[in-house]
Amino acid sequence: MIAGLVLLAGGAAVGLFGSLLGLGGGILLVPLLTLGFGRPLREAVAISLVSVIVTSSAGAGVYLRRHVANLRLGMVLELFTACGALAGGLIAFALPVPVLEGLFALLLAWVGLSMLRRRESPSPSPSPAAPADPEPVPAAEETAAVAPIPSSVPAVSLAPAGAASVGASAGTMAFAQPMSFAASLSGPGYHVHRMGLGAAGAVFAGVVSALLGVGGGIVKVPLMNLGMGVPLKVATATSNLMIGITATSSAVIYLLRDEIDPYIAGPVALGVFAGASIGARIVNRIDTRYLRMLFVAVLLITAVQMGAKALGL
Amino acid sequence: MSASVRRDDGTAAARADVAYRLESTISRLLVAGTYLAMALIVLGVVLMLASGVDPLGPTVPPFDLEAIPSQVASGNPLGFLWLGLVTVLALPLGRVVVAGVGFLAARDLRLALVSLAVLLVVLGSIAAAIRLEG
Repeated sequence: MIAGLVLLAGGAAVGLFGSLLGLGGGILLVPLLTLGFGRPLREAVAISLVSVIVTSSAGAGVYLRRHVANLRLGMVLELFTACGALAGGLIAFALPVPVLEGLFALLLAWVGLSMLRRRESPSPSPSPAAPADPEPVPAAEETAAVAPIPSSVPAVSLAPAGAASVGASAGTMAFAQPMSFAASLSGPGYHVHRMGLGAAGAVFAGVVSALLGVGGGIVKVPLMNLGMGVPLKVATATSNLMIGITATSSAVIYLLRDEIDPYIAGPVALGVFAGASIGARIVNRIDTRYLRMLFVAVLLITAVQMGAKALGL
Repeated sequence: MSASVRRDDGTAAARADVAYRLESTISRLLVAGTYLAMALIVLGVVLMLASGVDPLGPTVPPFDLEAIPSQVASGNPLGFLWLGLVTVLALPLGRVVVAGVGFLAARDLRLALVSLAVLLVVLGSIAAAIRLEG
């Protein structure tokens, strides 16, 4: 009974801190389960993917209700992330575990250093205009390396008035040329471009997600924002939406390979959901600067431990 | 303004309207589905704690879809946990199905085909996993 409660509490802590710091659960859960509970890496990745889907579904539900996410763009890109996740899920069973551990250590170090670099930029300041949502927006996903994204984002105006707005936007382009597929995926005030780059990056994000049990937002958000011209808030929300299918594409492989332990996945997923829900409610009220620095230290130490494990030290 | 420009403008507006309505529908599906999945998992965790199962035991219970109904009927925590976890995995697929049907109804064939392709990729994952298992 104690172990079950500890797993629940561990999941809740991951969900809470992830939500407060704008990180997904995977980057925290996998080390917790492998280094903390001694579970095999593939099992930890599988359980992490389940938790990532839970937070993605809950978060995407709220983002979509607020019409922040770009559903059309998300659906096109998730076709490529799903392909990447399929490949990544298969690669995960072909690669030796120490290689996966080494890759995870690199990911931890990169996220930690990115958070450290960002210390000098303005601290995350969730919009005061963001309305308190009656429903939680659990951990947006791991966007730490990109920009601080509060777990709750203000609504973006889109249709029915937005329909006209989108129409006007696309219509303006239509004067110059017939509407391209990329243009049909654009939103109010922005034009999606470089779909080829987006597709390639999405495949890579899917591989990373499946191999390491993370949502892949660390790749997708900068890809959409910097590479494709999608505003940061929309990119974050759309990436969150895409995580569900991306993670499901590889999670089913882990499930059918009996890598998901329901006795662990159940309490952990429940804890992550509860913790992320609490975090989303209090993130606007607390100063996360010191928490962020503490977290950077934890990430870097964990990266060293995971790296040592990969090297058999 | 040429007729083709007006047509493109109207098409964009219609697409945005379809996406707007679909987003609301999918939002309800995802939120309700997540709460349903969490409720099932809560039941499973409570039963697991009450029955004294050690979740950190050495063996991983194998996934058996056909056994879930009987496990649920007998109050076995595994049944509720598996059902909750399967619901979690099914939610994104349900979202794609709803979106695909919505795009099809709106005669947005490109996005309907994209939805179908996404489902085919997930089916491919299942097929690949079964093949690996074999």
